[in-house]
Amino acid sequence: MTKKPIIELIDVTKKYPGVVAMDTVSIDFRPSEVHAVIGENGAGKSTMMNVLSGAIQPNGGVIRVDGKDTVLPTPLASQAAGIRVVYQELSLCWNLSVGENVMLPELARRNPFSRLSSMRAGHAASSVLKRLGMEGLDPETPVAELSVAQQQMVEIARAVNQNARMLVLDEPNSALSPAESEKLFEVVRGLRSEGVSVVYVSHHLQEVLALADRISVMRDGRLITSFDNTAETTTDTLVAHMVGRDVVTSDQYSTCANSVSQIKAPTLELRGLCVPGIFDDVTFDVSSGEILGIAGLPDSGKDVLADAIFGMIGRAGEVYMKGIRVASGRPRHAIAAGMAYIPADRRGAGALLSMSVAENTVASALGKFTRHGFLNKSLIHKTTQTYMSKFDTKVSALGQAVSTLSGGNQQKIILSRGLATDPGLLILHEPTRGIDVGAKAEIYDILKDLASQGMAILMISSELPEIMLHTSRVLVMADGQISGRLSGAEITEERIMALATRSRHHAA
Amino acid sequence: MSRPSLWSRIAGRKELGVFLALVVMCVFLSFSTSSFLSSINLLNVGRQVSLLGIMAVGMTFVLISGEIDLSVGSTYALSGLGSGMLIVMGWGLVPALMAGLMLGASIGLINGLLSTYGRLPSLIATLGMLSIVRGVALLMTDGQPVTVNTRNGALPQVLEKFEFMGQGYLFGLVPMQLVFFAAVALLGWLVLSGTAFGFRVFAVGGSAKAARVSGIHAESVKIWTFVIMGLLAALAGILSMAFLPSGQAGRTGLGLELDVIAAVVVGGASLSGGVGTVLGTVLGVLIIGVLRNGLVLQGVSPFTQEVMIGLVIIIAVAIDKWSTRSRTT
Repeated sequence: MTKKPIIELIDVTKKYPGVVAMDTVSIDFRPSEVHAVIGENGAGKSTMMNVLSGAIQPNGGVIRVDGKDTVLPTPLASQAAGIRVVYQELSLCWNLSVGENVMLPELARRNPFSRLSSMRAGHAASSVLKRLGMEGLDPETPVAELSVAQQQMVEIARAVNQNARMLVLDEPNSALSPAESEKLFEVVRGLRSEGVSVVYVSHHLQEVLALADRISVMRDGRLITSFDNTAETTTDTLVAHMVGRDVVTSDQYSTCANSVSQIKAPTLELRGLCVPGIFDDVTFDVSSGEILGIAGLPDSGKDVLADAIFGMIGRAGEVYMKGIRVASGRPRHAIAAGMAYIPADRRGAGALLSMSVAENTVASALGKFTRHGFLNKSLIHKTTQTYMSKFDTKVSALGQAVSTLSGGNQQKIILSRGLATDPGLLILHEPTRGIDVGAKAEIYDILKDLASQGMAILMISSELPEIMLHTSRVLVMADGQISGRLSGAEITEERIMALATRSRHHAA
Repeated sequence: MSRPSLWSRIAGRKELGVFLALVVMCVFLSFSTSSFLSSINLLNVGRQVSLLGIMAVGMTFVLISGEIDLSVGSTYALSGLGSGMLIVMGWGLVPALMAGLMLGASIGLINGLLSTYGRLPSLIATLGMLSIVRGVALLMTDGQPVTVNTRNGALPQVLEKFEFMGQGYLFGLVPMQLVFFAAVALLGWLVLSGTAFGFRVFAVGGSAKAARVSGIHAESVKIWTFVIMGLLAALAGILSMAFLPSGQAGRTGLGLELDVIAAVVVGGASLSGGVGTVLGTVLGVLIIGVLRNGLVLQGVSPFTQEVMIGLVIIIAVAIDKWSTRSRTT
């Protein structure tokens, strides 16, 4: 019954300085099989995909293709072995047509003077599209005019056209509507019947249950288990595997939970906040002295929430700071109203990378540091020094460019910049992403101190341990809505994951 | 975290390379020509680069904020001709100057609005304005030269002061144009390195998104840099009119924008924004001025001069880029 695997990984390990991203992972992928790989963020799924695609090289272990030991030193070698990865971030040439995109790998190989017949490209492409049941897609259409779902189909068609024996789909339905997802499933099932090995990496447990023949669960870089998907398998089984049995429950960290009783009038009030197409009707309060956590999967809408509250993007609904309404689209006004924002994209949106430590520290509160219109450099120096020693930020000089600092030190400086405005509310989005363990602990301590001094803190994070251990209340988002509110002892990984994976179109 | 020593502060400055290049050029010219080092020649170099320098200070702001302004040569022509025509029509000095400066500032405002709220790349917006403003200058003068003299109608006492601005010497020694340049450079340096506005220009040019998160109103900062640029281009145009004292819409300031950008870039500013200093720009302007002067003194043909200046632009920026890369990797 079991066919010979196309690809086997045996004890494959990938170490980065300080982290083991893949820890002796052994897994195989067989023809005519949909093999789902699930796990939390940082579980090692992406690393495994990159090993398969030839983008990164493992430090140990063996890769076998058709039973023979092989190395995949480059993406080209991986493609030659018949492996195709369709990443979540689509890689189409938006200025070319559907047909040209499908035929792109072939066109790229042709000699530069060969005659290009767009008719032929269109013809070849339409046969692939037909094979995938996508006859409705005109090969002449520019991909820029397609929906995200259609663009994804084009990308799959391109992979299939190159005779993929193994197709890796990374979070394929994160941007799709229920009907579009159904279409995708049909295509996946069709490929399976043609003998293709489909690797389906996803957060959406219901969809995994509906589609997969076999399910592998990863956690902390290890493969926890692989099993056949049977009628008895439920999302609860999956969540239990993903989370593990040795979870730290929030009871063991009761310090935060205690502070719930001291909560006063809300500092931030959101009423029916909405960003069309992303999230809808988000209503909650954050009070002085509490750390409120927001959890959710990458497509739940939580990643846009902070930008919307702070006014970086347009929004509908109402935002009140200390009872006063804050207008949309003007971060300056949000700061004036008492908000401070530490965005997730530290290098792109957080730090003023080309500027110095001191300049970054005072950038949000310039008014305090000017006298008769001129910058008071000695005051800037003194204030910066105070913050640097307060948070133990390691810099060699206050004039040092922040681009040369480690992530942890950059984050402390962005935090200092926010605090220099004397805010009442701190919004943090992925506050410890890409930061080493030591600096993480320091940042949590800082947040705890600030909360105990009366700061209202809103922490939006994909890292469950962070949400569990360092917040007093948790809101979980799914499909653009708040799917649940947890506090105190209710805050467990199982509860959060169950709420986060409760998708609208499958719950119904 | 102690304050760095004076020496390391000097050695660490980005302008050091440009400064050394200038020194080498000056030393070479002092030995190879007898007339270069005379105070009269040096002041003459100063006067020749002044108008370029005034505009370059403005362009420094624009480039640091991450934008570019190609319309400055046309603004220079329109404002100078405008002020000149008003004086010929019998206007007083102050109203005529004010009108010219306001014209420049308004062009800057339009550039700024188009490049921010209009969502056009400033390269395109100001390329369009380059042509529009030049066209307006042609229409306004009907393509005819404008000459400011009493025969054409300028009031004698107005003309005397106007010509002093362009041709006069402070204390009978320092050319007035150089005085204007020095004042603009000093003011520009103070604003850029010492005020909250200057800070915001750097922040917006370094990362517009991070600047917004910090609460900086990126659009207004950029609009102001364009207004400053327009104002300074107008000032330079008016001074040129006062110096000659005539101009023609089809010729005045043609292609000047590229000289201005070249001087600023030689001075170390980055076309991608966030980097640059007024001191660097002044040195960049002087390099181009000294080079031109030196080539003339050496008797090099004007055609060869063009080639040499192009080479200097490329070499100066290349050295800067290559040395930055070796520092970061």
